[in-house]
Amino acid sequence: MNKLIIQNLSKTYPNGVKALDNVSIEIENGMFGLLGPNGAGKSSLMRTLATLQEADSGTATLNEIDIFSQPHELRKVLGYLPQEFGVYPKITAEQLLDHIAILKGITKSSERKELVAYLLEKVNLYNDRKKSVKGFSGGMKQRVGIAQALIGSPRLIIVDEPTAGLDPGERNRFYNLLADVGKDVIVILSTHIVDDVRELCTKMAIMNGGKLVFHGAPQTAIDELDGKVYQKVVEREELEQYAANYSVISNKMVGGKPFIHVYSESDPQNGFESVKPNLEDVFFSKINTSNLLV
Amino acid sequence: MFKDFFLAELRHALKQPMLYIFLSLMALMVFGATASDNIVIGGAVGNVFKNAPHVITQFTVIMTIFGLLMATAYFNNAALKDHNNQFNEILFSTPLSKSGYFFGRFFAALLLATIPMLGVFLGVFLGSVLGPAFQWVDADRFGPFYLETFVNNYFLFILPNMFFAGAIVFALANKWKSTVISFVGALVIIIGYIVAGTLMSDIDNETLGALTDTFGIRAYDLSSKYYTPFEKNTLSPAFTGILLLNRLIWIGVGALILALSYFTFSFQEKNKKVKAEKDEKREKQTLRATPAVQAIYGAGSTWAQFKSFFYTNFLSISKSVTFKVLFLFSVIILLANLAGGFEYYGLQSYPLTYKMIDVITSASNIFVIIILVFFSGELVWRDRDSKINEVVDATPHASAISLSAKVLSLIMLTSLLNIFFIFCAVIYQLIMGYTRIELDVYLLDFFLTMFPLYITWSGVMIMVQVLVNNKYIGYFVSILVIFLWSLVMLALDLQTNMLAIGSGPSIMYSDMNGFGAGVEGRLWFNFYWFLFSLICIMLAAVLWSRGTASAFKERLVHANKKMSGVAKAFTLALVLAFASVAGFLYYNTQVLNPYKTSDQLEELGAEFEKKYKKYEGAAMPKVKDVKYNIEVFPEERSVYVKAEVWLKNETDVTIDSLHLNYDKNWHPKFEMPTASLLSDDEEMGWRMYKLSPAMKPGDSLLAHIETSYVPKGFENEVSNTSVIGNGTFLNNFQILPSLGYDPGSELSDKNTRKKYGLPPKDRMPELKANCGRACEINYLTNGRADFVMVETVISTSGDQIAISPGTLIKEWQENGRNYFHYKLDHPSQNFYSFISARFEVARKKWNGVDLEVYYDAKHATNVEMMLAAMERSLAYYTEHFGPYYHKQCRIIEFPRYASFAQAFPGTMPYSEAIGFVTNLEDEEGNNIIDAVIAHEMAHQWWAHQVVGANMQGGTMMSESFAEYSSLMTMKKMNDDPMKMREFQKYNHDRYLMGRSQEVEKEVPLYKVENQPHIHYGKGSLILYALQDYIGEAKVNLAMKNYLDEYKHVGPPYSSSLDFLRYLEPLVPDTLKYLINDWFKEITLYDNRVKEASYKKLDNGKYELTMKVESVKMRADTMGNETKFPMNDWVDIGVLDSDEKKLIYQKRVKIDQPEMSFTFSLDTIPAKAAIDPRRLLIDRVYDDNVKVVSAE
Repeated sequence: MNKLIIQNLSKTYPNGVKALDNVSIEIENGMFGLLGPNGAGKSSLMRTLATLQEADSGTATLNEIDIFSQPHELRKVLGYLPQEFGVYPKITAEQLLDHIAILKGITKSSERKELVAYLLEKVNLYNDRKKSVKGFSGGMKQRVGIAQALIGSPRLIIVDEPTAGLDPGERNRFYNLLADVGKDVIVILSTHIVDDVRELCTKMAIMNGGKLVFHGAPQTAIDELDGKVYQKVVEREELEQYAANYSVISNKMVGGKPFIHVYSESDPQNGFESVKPNLEDVFFSKINTSNLLV
Repeated sequence: MFKDFFLAELRHALKQPMLYIFLSLMALMVFGATASDNIVIGGAVGNVFKNAPHVITQFTVIMTIFGLLMATAYFNNAALKDHNNQFNEILFSTPLSKSGYFFGRFFAALLLATIPMLGVFLGVFLGSVLGPAFQWVDADRFGPFYLETFVNNYFLFILPNMFFAGAIVFALANKWKSTVISFVGALVIIIGYIVAGTLMSDIDNETLGALTDTFGIRAYDLSSKYYTPFEKNTLSPAFTGILLLNRLIWIGVGALILALSYFTFSFQEKNKKVKAEKDEKREKQTLRATPAVQAIYGAGSTWAQFKSFFYTNFLSISKSVTFKVLFLFSVIILLANLAGGFEYYGLQSYPLTYKMIDVITSASNIFVIIILVFFSGELVWRDRDSKINEVVDATPHASAISLSAKVLSLIMLTSLLNIFFIFCAVIYQLIMGYTRIELDVYLLDFFLTMFPLYITWSGVMIMVQVLVNNKYIGYFVSILVIFLWSLVMLALDLQTNMLAIGSGPSIMYSDMNGFGAGVEGRLWFNFYWFLFSLICIMLAAVLWSRGTASAFKERLVHANKKMSGVAKAFTLALVLAFASVAGFLYYNTQVLNPYKTSDQLEELGAEFEKKYKKYEGAAMPKVKDVKYNIEVFPEERSVYVKAEVWLKNETDVTIDSLHLNYDKNWHPKFEMPTASLLSDDEEMGWRMYKLSPAMKPGDSLLAHIETSYVPKGFENEVSNTSVIGNGTFLNNFQILPSLGYDPGSELSDKNTRKKYGLPPKDRMPELKANCGRACEINYLTNGRADFVMVETVISTSGDQIAISPGTLIKEWQENGRNYFHYKLDHPSQNFYSFISARFEVARKKWNGVDLEVYYDAKHATNVEMMLAAMERSLAYYTEHFGPYYHKQCRIIEFPRYASFAQAFPGTMPYSEAIGFVTNLEDEEGNNIIDAVIAHEMAHQWWAHQVVGANMQGGTMMSESFAEYSSLMTMKKMNDDPMKMREFQKYNHDRYLMGRSQEVEKEVPLYKVENQPHIHYGKGSLILYALQDYIGEAKVNLAMKNYLDEYKHVGPPYSSSLDFLRYLEPLVPDTLKYLINDWFKEITLYDNRVKEASYKKLDNGKYELTMKVESVKMRADTMGNETKFPMNDWVDIGVLDSDEKKLIYQKRVKIDQPEMSFTFSLDTIPAKAAIDPRRLLIDRVYDDNVKVVSAE
C-alpha cells in the first residue's frame, strides 16, 4: 500500500496569488479525483507533487520519499501527464516513448522495445507508431501522453485534465486504462468535469482558492446533502431576488429560463421541489459558499 | 489610407525602446571608432581626418550590413504583426485598401529601418566633438564636416540598401509568414554580398564585382580606390559613374521584388492544410501481456539517457529546415571561395592542404557563429517550445546530463559542417589534379584548433541561454559575448589567450615545419578551455530552470539543494582542475615568458627614445670582420652563438664607451679585455661599457660575444618563429646585439609620436648633394659596418643542412651532428642569414658559379625553373652591369611564417608560401616566380655592390633597379609588349593603391623614403617606360656607369642624384623633360580616346581617325593635383579585339588638350588606344582604349 502524505503545503506566486494555502491531505492507492474551478490551485498542487515546483512551506512524502529533498527519488516512481502535453517535431510515437523510457531508467533495449509496443497497443496507437507525433490529432497526442505516464512502474501517477480534447469513446478507453493500473498505485486525477470523478474515483477532494474545501468519498458528500437541495424554474428578472433570499448552488438555463438549485436545511416552499443531490451539487455547494450566481 | 497606416506604424515604433537601442548601439560603435584609436572600423590613418568624408562613408557602408539585421526586424514586424497577434482575420475583414495597407506598412518600416543608421552620423559627430574636447584624440586629426557627406550617404547607401533588403524581407514575410525565413532571407543577402566579393577578388573583374554588390560597398571602393589623402578628406560619395549605376540596378531589383510581392499579396488566408484524421482501425483488445520491465538507475542508465538526449537533440536540429539552409549556404560560400583559387600576380598556387584549411576556416566562421548562437537557443528552449518540458523534467535524469547532450549536439553540428568542408576541400584538390591529399593534416588541424573552439563556445552559449532564461535576450547576449568581448579586450589592451574564449597560441601549418612550436601550448590551452566548458555546463545545470520557470533569485536559492553529493564533488574537482591548469598556463605564459602588448611595446619604444636618443650621435667603432660559431639544435629550438667581432675606430675622435642594444631573450655575453660594464638596462635592452684604454682613431679591438636562444615552457603566442624544428632562419641582426642607438627603430607614425610627446620625425634624412656626414651611413647597416668578411662554423642536427654566407670550405660529422664551415669570398654588406632545415639540394654550374636550390622534399616541382631563372638573370646582369663577385648563388626555402624573398650576399632565402607552391605547369604568360628570383638576383648588384646612402632616394638604387633588372630579363624572354602590359598592370595598381594609403606624404621617385609602393611599384613603371623612351641600352649604360663608380666603396655612399648625374647626359634633349616629370615630380596623366572610326580607302587599306584627350597633372605631397600643359611624346596605336596584340603603334607629340590623328592600316582596326602599352601612370586606364567604329 502506497501512501502520499501532504502536510501544510503553501505556495504564493511572486505576483501575490496564493496558489496553495495550507493544504494537508493523505492519499492511498486507488483513483483520487481532484475537483476545482479554474485557478483553484489544482495544477499548482500537481506540479508541486511532480517535483516541478517548490513549495514555500509544508512537506509531502510518498512512502519513505520526501518529495522536496529527494526529488530525484520521487521521479523514479512517478508517472506524470501535464495539462499541456506537446511533442517534439519530427519524431515518431515509438521514438518518443523510447526516449522517455530511457529517461525513466528502462536501460535494457529489449525490455524497452517490448514495453513501448505494449503501451502503444494499450492506447491503441500501435498502428501509428511510425508516424510523426506532431501530425497526430489532439486525442491521439493525449493518448501518447497517457502511454508515457505509464512507463516504468510508477507508484504515483499524476494526470492533469487528461480528458480534455478526447471524444467520449476515447475517454472511456482512457478511464478503463487508468482504473486498470490504479488498483495498486496512487492515481491523482485533476479535472473540472464532475462526471469523471463520479465514474472513477473512490476518494476525492475539492479545491478552491488554494484551499482544500472538501475531501472524502464522493458518496459521503452526496449523502451529506441528501434532502437539502431544492430546484425551481424561475423568471430571468427574478434571479437577483432569489440569489438574495436563498443559497443558490447553481443555475443553468433550461428551455430559455433559469433553472436553479438551492441549498436549504428545510423545505423552502415557494414552488421549490426537492431533488436528489448529485456530485455537481456537492461541487457547487462547496465552492460557491458566498452565494454568488455562477 | 496609406497615410493612416504609415503614421500609425511610425507612432507605434517611436514609442518602442528598440529603435533607440539600435540607434544608440550604432552611435556607440562609431563614436568609439571616432573618439579613440583602439577601435577600428574602416579607418583613418596618417593624414586622413578621423571624420573625413571617406571615413564617414566607410562607416556607413560597413554599418549598413549590421543595419540590415535591424531592418529585418522592422520589415518582418510590419508584415507579420497582425498575423502574429491573430488580428489579421478581424482586420482583413474590414474594408481597407490593399495598397494603403501594403505600402503604408512597407514605407513606414523603411523609414524606421534607416533611423538606426543615423546613429553612424550621430556617432561621428559626437566623436568629433568629444574626442578632442576630452583629449582622447588630437584636435588636428579632425577636419570640417560637409553636409553633402551625410545627405549623399543617406540617399546612396542607407536608403537604397534598406529598400532593397526590405523589399526582399517584406516579400518573404508576406509569403511565408515566418520570422525564421525572414532572417534567413537577410542572411542570404549578406551571403550573396560575400560570394560576389570572393568571386570578384581579381582586379580583372573588379567592375563586375562592383556592380554585383547589393550594398554598393565594392562600387564605392572601386571608385575611391586610388583616392589620395587629400581626396579622402574632401570628396563625398557622388551620384556618378559605377556607384550610381550600381545603386540604380539594385533599387530597380528591389522595386521589382516589391511589385511582385504586392500583386501576389492577398488578404485572404490560403487554405490551410488540414490533415484528415485517419480512420482508426479498431483493434481488438491487447494481445500483449504486461511486459516485465525493470528500471535500473546507475552509470549505465545515465549513459543511455545521455545518448538518447543527444540523439533526439541532434536529430531534430540536423533535420530542421534552418540547419539545412545554413548548411547549403555555407557550402556555397566555400565553393565561391575555392572558385577564385589562390591567385598571386595572375598565377595560381597549387591547392595545398594548408591553403584549403585557411579557406575552410574563413568560410565556416560566420556559420559556426550562427549555428552556435541560434541553435543554443533552440536547444535550451526546445522542450519548453514543444511543451514537453514538464514530462521530461519530471523524469529521473540529472540536468547536467541533458545539458551536456545539448552541448555535444552543438559541437557535433559545427563539427559536421567542418568535416563536410574538409570533404569538399579534398574533392576540390582532386578535381584540380592535385593528389598530395593530407587527411592527417586536415584532421589534426581540426582537432587542434576548431574542435576545441567548438567545445568551448558550445558550453558558453548553452550557459548563456540558461542563465538569461529568455531565448531572444539570450541571442542578444550571446552575440554581445562573441563580439563585444573581443572589443573589450582590445580596449583594455589585454592580449592573453586565457581570457579570449576558446583561444590559444596560433597554429599555422607549414609543409616544412608542420604545426610548429605552438602545439604544446595549444594543447594546454585546449585542456583549459575544455574544463571551462564543463564548468559552464555544471553552472548551467545548477541554475537550470527545471519545471516551472522561476526567477533567477529563486533558482539561485534552490541551486544548492539541486546538486547531489556526486555532482558537488565533481564540480569541486572540476574547479580545482581548472584552477590548477589556469595556474600552470599563467606561470608559462606570464611568468616564464612575459610578453608585451602592442600598447606596451609602443610605450616602451617611446621611453627608449626619450632615454637613449641622446646617444644617437655618440661615436662607435665599426664592425669589420666577424667569425661565427653557431650551434643549432632544431629539436630543442635552441641556438648557441659565439662570435669574434673585430671592431675598428674609423672616426676621427677617441671612443671611450661602447653602447649595445640587445634582445634580452638572447642573453648576450660581451667580453673585451678593455671594456668594463657601466650600466645595464635589461627592460630596454641597453648596455654601456667603459673602454680603458679608450679607442683612438684607427685602433682595432677583438670582442667576444656569446648569445643563446633557449625556449622555456610555452608562450601565449609563439614569439620566435625563426628558431624552429625544421627551417630555422636567422639573420645577423637577430643573433648579435647592435652597436649604438638606431633611429630606424623609433616610432614612426606622427600621431603615435604626438601621443607620447615626441617631436615629429622625418622618415628619412633629406636628399642633398654633397651630403657630408649623412652619406657616411648606408640604409642597410646604419653606419655600424661597411663591407665585411664573414667566416662561419655552423652545426645542426644530423638530418639537417645548415647554410651561412660564402663558400663551403669543409663539411663533417661529429657526435651525430652535421658541421659546416663557410667563408665569404668577397667583402659584403654586414647583412646575412643562417639557415638550417632538412633540405634537398638541386645544383647546376654556370660559368664557374655554383647555382643551388635548397628546398623541401615536398616542393620539388618548380626547382628546375628556378635554376633556369637564376641562370638567365646572371647572364643578363653580368653582360649589362658587370661581374658577379660570389662563387655561389643559393635559393633557400624557409617556412611560411613570413612570405617574402630576401637577398643576402650570394644567398636568397625564399618563403615556401611563394614560388615553391605556385603552379607553373602550363604557364605561358609572365611568371612572377621568375620575376622574384630575377629581382633578388639583381640585388647582388643593386644593394650588395652599390648601396644608397641612408637618405631620401636611397632605395631607388636597390629596389627600383632590381625591379627594372627583373623586368628586363622578362622582356628579353617573352618579348611581347602586351604581356609586359599585363604584368605592369599590377605595378600600376600597387603604386596607385599605395599612394592612396600613404600615411605621411607622397614623394617623387628620386626622394623615395623606403616606401614599397614607390620604390617597387612606381620604380618599375618609371624605369620601364624610360627604357622604352630612350632605349634599354642607354638605361643599362647609365646604371653600369653609376655602378662602376660606387661599386664596393663607401663610406661615403652615393645618392639618387649621383645616378641622375649619369643618366641625364644619355637622355636626348627632346626627352629631357622626362627626368623632371618622372623622377623629380609626382606626375600623372589622364589620357583618353574620345572618338575612333575607320573608313576603307580605295587602295584596299583602312584609314583610322582617332580623337584623343590628354592631360598631365602634378600632385603635391597630399595628393592634391594641378593640371599642367602637355607638350609630351605619347604613343597612339591599334590593338586587336581582345587586346592581346599590338597591331600598330606610333609615338606622337601631344601639345593640345584635344588632338586628332589619322593613319592607314592594312586590316580593319578593332580598338584604338592612346598609350596602348600603358607606359604612363593613369588612374583610369579603361578609357585609353576604344572600340573603333566604321564611318
